[in-house]
Amino acid sequence: MKTISIHSSRGGTGKTEIATNLACVLASRGFNVALLDVDFRAPSMVIIFSKALNSPVKYWLNDFLNGRCKEVQVLIDISNYYNLKGKLQVGLANPSVEAIQNMMLKSQAWEAVAVKKLFSLLSSLNSDMGIDYCIFDTSPGVQYSSVNALACSDVCVIVMNSDLVDLIGTKNMLKDIFDILDKKTVIILNKFSPENRIIPNEENDLVSKTEEILKHPVISKIPCYCDVLQAERMALLAIQQPDHPFIKKLEEVADKIDGL
Amino acid sequence: MEEQSSLVETLAKVVEQLKLVNDKLDLIVKSNTELIQIFETSNESSSHPQADVMTLLKLPASLRRTAMALYKFQRATADDIAKVTGNLRAVESSFANQLVRMGYVKKKREGRTMYFSIEPELEAKK
Repeated sequence: MKTISIHSSRGGTGKTEIATNLACVLASRGFNVALLDVDFRAPSMVIIFSKALNSPVKYWLNDFLNGRCKEVQVLIDISNYYNLKGKLQVGLANPSVEAIQNMMLKSQAWEAVAVKKLFSLLSSLNSDMGIDYCIFDTSPGVQYSSVNALACSDVCVIVMNSDLVDLIGTKNMLKDIFDILDKKTVIILNKFSPENRIIPNEENDLVSKTEEILKHPVISKIPCYCDVLQAERMALLAIQQPDHPFIKKLEEVADKIDGL
Repeated sequence: MEEQSSLVETLAKVVEQLKLVNDKLDLIVKSNTELIQIFETSNESSSHPQADVMTLLKLPASLRRTAMALYKFQRATADDIAKVTGNLRAVESSFANQLVRMGYVKKKREGRTMYFSIEPELEAKK
C-alpha cells in the first residue's frame, strides 16, 4: 500500500479537488483506494460525497481517533454509486461546529495517541482491507492533524499556486516539517496561467525556478481551468468528464506517484 | 635499548589513542547535554514527556527515526526497529534506550527479550 498526503501551505490551492479526483482516477484503474479527510478544521468531503452516502454517517474519523470505533467501522464504501472498477472508501471528518471545536482543543498527549492510531489504521487498511492507495486530504499549514498524516505517509504532495506568497510559505514548511520528516515530497503547481511569474518582472521557466528554490521536483503543472473552478464541487470531474484535461493531468500525476 | 625504544613508541601510540577516545567521550557528553536541554524545553508545560509528532521534529534525526519506526509497532525489539531504519541492532538499542531515558519510550523485559513501545498517556481529558 502506498500512502499519499495532499498538503499545502495555505487554503484554496485546490488540494481537495486534487485529492478527491486523484482517488477516483486510481479507483477507476481498478485499485482499492481509501480517501481520508483529516482536515478537521474545515471538513468538506462529507459534502462532496453526500450524494454517494446511502445513510447518515455512523462513525467519523474523529470518532476513530477518539477511540469510539474500530478501524473497519470508519470507512464508507462509495464505489457502487460511482460505478468504479476498484473500491473507493472514504473516512470523513465531522463537520459539526462542536466536533471542529473539540478537535481544535486537543492536548499534546491526545495528539501523541492520535498519530499512533493513524499508524494502526494504515496497518489495518494494508493488511486487513486490501487497500492499494491511501490518500490523506489535509488541513493547510502546520496543523497537528496534518503533520500527523504527513508523518504516516510514504509520499507527500504539496499543491501550490504559482505566486510568491505561496512559494515562501511552501519553502518554510518544507524546511521546518517535510525535510525533517525525511519524506519523498513532490510539488503540483495548480491553477497555473502562462502569465504567472514566480519572481515578479522576471522572465523564467516557472517549473525550473520553483524546483531551484524549493529543491523538490514539480511533477505537474496544471493550468487554471475556468470550468473546473465553476463546477459544482459535488460533481466529481473524474467521474463525469474523465477526458477533461484536468483529469488527464491527474492521470499523469498518478503515474508519477506510482513510480516514486 | 632497542626494546626500550619500541616500548616508548608503543606507549606514545596508546597515549594518542586514549586522547582520541577522550575527545569522543567529550563529544558524547556534549551531545547528551544538548538532548537533555531539548527534552526539558519540549516538555516544560507537561508533567509527562509526550512523543507527539511536533515534539519529535525537535529531536536529532537519529532519535526521530527510531521513534517514528516505533510508532509502527505495538511494541518492538531493537532488531524490529533496525529492520525499519536500516541501522545496526546495537545502534537502535542505544537510540531506543536514549528515548527511554528521555521519557518518550517505555521498555519491558520478557525473558531475554527487551521490548520498546510508545505508549502515550492521556492526562488531560479534552
